[in-house]
Amino acid sequence: MNLDTLVGLLQLIPVQRAIIALAIAGGAFPIVGVWIIGLNIVPVRFAMMHVALLGIALGMLIQLEPTLVGLLLCGVTGVLLAPLAKRPAGLSGPMGLVMTMAIAAALLVLSLSGVNANGAFELLWGSILATRTIDVVILGIVATIIIVVYVVKKRDLALLLYDREVALCSGIAVEQLTMLLMFVIAVAIGAAVHLTGALLVDSVTILPAIAARNLGRSLQHMVWWAVGIGIVGNLLGFGLTLVLNQPPGPLLVITVGLITLATFLRKRA
Amino acid sequence: MTNATALHISNLVCRFGSTPVVDDVSLAIAPGEHVAIVGSNGSGKTTLLRAILGLHPIYAGQIVVDHVHAQSAADWRQRQQRIAWMPQRQASGQFPLLVHELLASSRNPTVAHDIASQLEVGMLADRPLHALSGGQLQRVFLARALGSIAGGAGLLLADEPTAALDFGGQAAVATVIAAQQVTVLVVTHDRTMASHCGRVIEMANGRAREVTP
Repeated sequence: MNLDTLVGLLQLIPVQRAIIALAIAGGAFPIVGVWIIGLNIVPVRFAMMHVALLGIALGMLIQLEPTLVGLLLCGVTGVLLAPLAKRPAGLSGPMGLVMTMAIAAALLVLSLSGVNANGAFELLWGSILATRTIDVVILGIVATIIIVVYVVKKRDLALLLYDREVALCSGIAVEQLTMLLMFVIAVAIGAAVHLTGALLVDSVTILPAIAARNLGRSLQHMVWWAVGIGIVGNLLGFGLTLVLNQPPGPLLVITVGLITLATFLRKRA
Repeated sequence: MTNATALHISNLVCRFGSTPVVDDVSLAIAPGEHVAIVGSNGSGKTTLLRAILGLHPIYAGQIVVDHVHAQSAADWRQRQQRIAWMPQRQASGQFPLLVHELLASSRNPTVAHDIASQLEVGMLADRPLHALSGGQLQRVFLARALGSIAGGAGLLLADEPTAALDFGGQAAVATVIAAQQVTVLVVTHDRTMASHCGRVIEMANGRAREVTP
């Protein structure tokens, strides 16, 4: 591809919107990834993808905006799961249960409402190149909420993610904070799945956080690393997408994945 | 001794599943008293401290701190503010936290930092906790607890505070804890530590009995 073609592509509105969406998601969603790693709830993203599908199916059944019902159901599920975080076994088991129950319930609801399941899946699996202006606005709102929660609760979060009991005995309202985190995590994943596509959820949340875990010495360091890798990795991956004329999802995940792999090698060295 | 807290435990039962690990324990500790709890592993010592802090559920009986029987979440948070805690399990802590961030969670971070310097761990302020040795970590948690006492906590709960220390360190920490003008309840296998306490309670199979110090 020559430079003129690349410049031409960059002038296309869908491409510009995709770049803005990736910059917003890469700049804020890795913070959610850091929380997910800290709370040891990596399966949450699969659980919430299925809950979002159930919400979309419910929205179709009751004829409300499916995306909003999906996000709402994700948020409610996150809040309902939060009290289980204090169990020694943590949230991994309940996440698996939620995932299985949600997909079963979603298929049942789709059958009851007579909607073709593919229609619901299309709503769920968004694409970064199909991002609309309203999607960018929603991403911006969710990103702002994530950043505000992090900045306001930074000190409490550092203790909670280090050790729940140390946080409790420091006078932190741990249950409320966990509930807030679970709500934001669930909504962020629901939004990311719909707006950027299922494959990209990992490249804007978990992968930068895993890389940051290898590089950061504290929560603050981890967040800076995760955000940096999120922005640079995703924009670089998108650039490769344009240059190589390949689908964005796989290239973005592979680019951020390779950066993450490099951090493991650096850690070993 | 204005901050020292009274502690009354009556007929306390705590269980793991159906197995009682603290079994009908009653204990009255006056403000300013220093009490050592000794006993073999698994006798219920740590569970007793954790129940006082609200970290282990109470099956029966009650624990009253400063005439307050905590029931609501707000009560428990208020109680946790009145207690300085040195945990035995030095935090699950695989997630990075810097020493100065932990000291900042003390009720008086300035005092906590000063004490950390006195305990020769002040220079580790920018290190992650998981990079510290067991002894260094214990000193950091002690500095944090003493900062909380300076900030108004009236009860120190210390769970094997000298376990990871060398002999010199054990004596130094025992002396520091003995000098505190608050109520102290310390779980220990260390005779030096126990000898600094006015009372010694021995636990076996979840039950407690007073022994001569």
